[in-house]
Amino acid sequence: MASNAHADFRSRLQVWLPKLVLSPSLAMVLVFVYGFIIFSVYLSFTDSRLLPSYGWVGWENYSKLWRLSHWEISLTNMGVFAVLYIGICSILGLGLAIFLDQKIRGEGFIRTIYLYPMALSFIVTGTAWKWFLDPGIGLENVMQSWGWTGFEFDWIKNRDFAIYTVVLAAVWQTSGFVMAMFLAGLRGIDNEMLKAAQMDGASNWNLYRRIIIPQLRPAFLSAFVILSHLAIKTFDLVIALTGGGPGRATELPATFMYSYTFTRNQMGIGAASAVIMLMTIAAIMIPYLYAELREKK
Amino acid sequence: MARSVTTQRKTINTVLAWAVGLLIFFPILWTILTSFKTEAQAINDPPIWFFFDWTLENYSVVQERSNYMKFLWNSVIIAGGSTVLGVIIAIPAAWSMAFVPSKRTKDILLWMLSTKMLPAVGVLYPIYLLFIKLGLLDSRFGLVIVLMLINLPIIVWMLYTYFREIPGEILEAARMDGATLKEEIIYVLTPMAIPGIASTLLLNVILAWNEAFWTLNLTAANAAPLTAFIASYSSPEGLFYAKLSAASVMAIAPILIMGWFSQKQLVRGLTFGAVK
Repeated sequence: MASNAHADFRSRLQVWLPKLVLSPSLAMVLVFVYGFIIFSVYLSFTDSRLLPSYGWVGWENYSKLWRLSHWEISLTNMGVFAVLYIGICSILGLGLAIFLDQKIRGEGFIRTIYLYPMALSFIVTGTAWKWFLDPGIGLENVMQSWGWTGFEFDWIKNRDFAIYTVVLAAVWQTSGFVMAMFLAGLRGIDNEMLKAAQMDGASNWNLYRRIIIPQLRPAFLSAFVILSHLAIKTFDLVIALTGGGPGRATELPATFMYSYTFTRNQMGIGAASAVIMLMTIAAIMIPYLYAELREKK
Repeated sequence: MARSVTTQRKTINTVLAWAVGLLIFFPILWTILTSFKTEAQAINDPPIWFFFDWTLENYSVVQERSNYMKFLWNSVIIAGGSTVLGVIIAIPAAWSMAFVPSKRTKDILLWMLSTKMLPAVGVLYPIYLLFIKLGLLDSRFGLVIVLMLINLPIIVWMLYTYFREIPGEILEAARMDGATLKEEIIYVLTPMAIPGIASTLLLNVILAWNEAFWTLNLTAANAAPLTAFIASYSSPEGLFYAKLSAASVMAIAPILIMGWFSQKQLVRGLTFGAVK
């Protein structure tokens, strides 16, 4: 009888144990992410300023937010930044991947070098770029001291161009990483098909255009999703590189939210902007994850 | 991929690839070089490349002035602590999903991963307020918890993909030979899981080490790690470039070393497993 009960306990344990050990992680993610997001959403409908307050104001924060020129500027900047960042990173990443796929000597070493920037903190790279781009001390100064006196490169101090310096630093940081994604895609392409196409006399250019690049669609998709969520989350880089300036020239939604919450004490409006950012990322991500799920089932 | 490449082409490609590599690595290299110059040499016209009087003075000044060791120690505790804690919590979950998968496993995993993509600003207020209430602002313990929570989905995911690579037949064979669950875990599973766990640890130490959003927002003087150290250097002392370079090198040196060993894990982790 005793051994029977023991066996019974064991088999029940076998059923329940996996679920039991999974639950702490699940619960933590659930509470931490969703619980807190719901609280943020709630705050965005209240009149919280320096500290949370629970007076319900409906959509007022949102309508205030959309009337702020500060918010408009950060959205415009986001648009410029995201389009250039995603576009340039994808093109450079694909180019570098195709390039590295040509049987380069010391490929492993070079791949690591290309990837290095991504392993560094945005704060550090932002600081290094700030210096490099500074007209008084960086590139402009170097070029002029080498005799090219007409050389001018003061984008970081220029309201109209400062946003492009953020793009430059971000592209430098991420391109090698996008390259690694595309390279893995390239390596996964069926060799037989390429050989057959080559035998039929397809040129290298046609090989890439007609066979290889179309097969990289999944890599393009993941690159797009990862780059776009990185773009929307961009915060540390701007803080280190330009601090949002000059003026508001490089203000992005994340820095906008930060300054409205912590320096202007407009928690309600800040929360509203955070909710909009969340929604944007969700709008990009949910279809992607949905497609992934359907594919793998 | 076997495409016909002539020797000449190959040489040109190799040279070009190295040139691009140098271009990418240049800002890092320049920072390292500058950190060994004197302030005067750092802003010398024209710039000096290698032939300057190498000095360690900047490093000792930085250490003296801002107590680098304290920031370093905070970084070690925060990155190490959050990673170890996260892995301990994640191992059972990953084990359960990898070896006893249910119909919902894939959904749960993707859902967990999706949370990592959400911007941190979405949960900043609640955490900030909670930290004020619990007196956790500017404490290493608080940061360990927060960084553990934000990286938990990635840790679970990475461990899961590594555990999945352990062939189930081996476990079955052990069971057939009469191994108990305990023996199975200690003698069969653990040795095979260790490489995956080590990779996960490495990647997450890097992620936590570089984390700036939370460390800048939740710390001040006491618990600030190296990311805050760099941020504090970049503004008021903008003219001391050699010292700033030394500070930067001190902040990235551990990552440069760890990054070398973990490039594969880096790609795998950062792409959410899209690239293995």
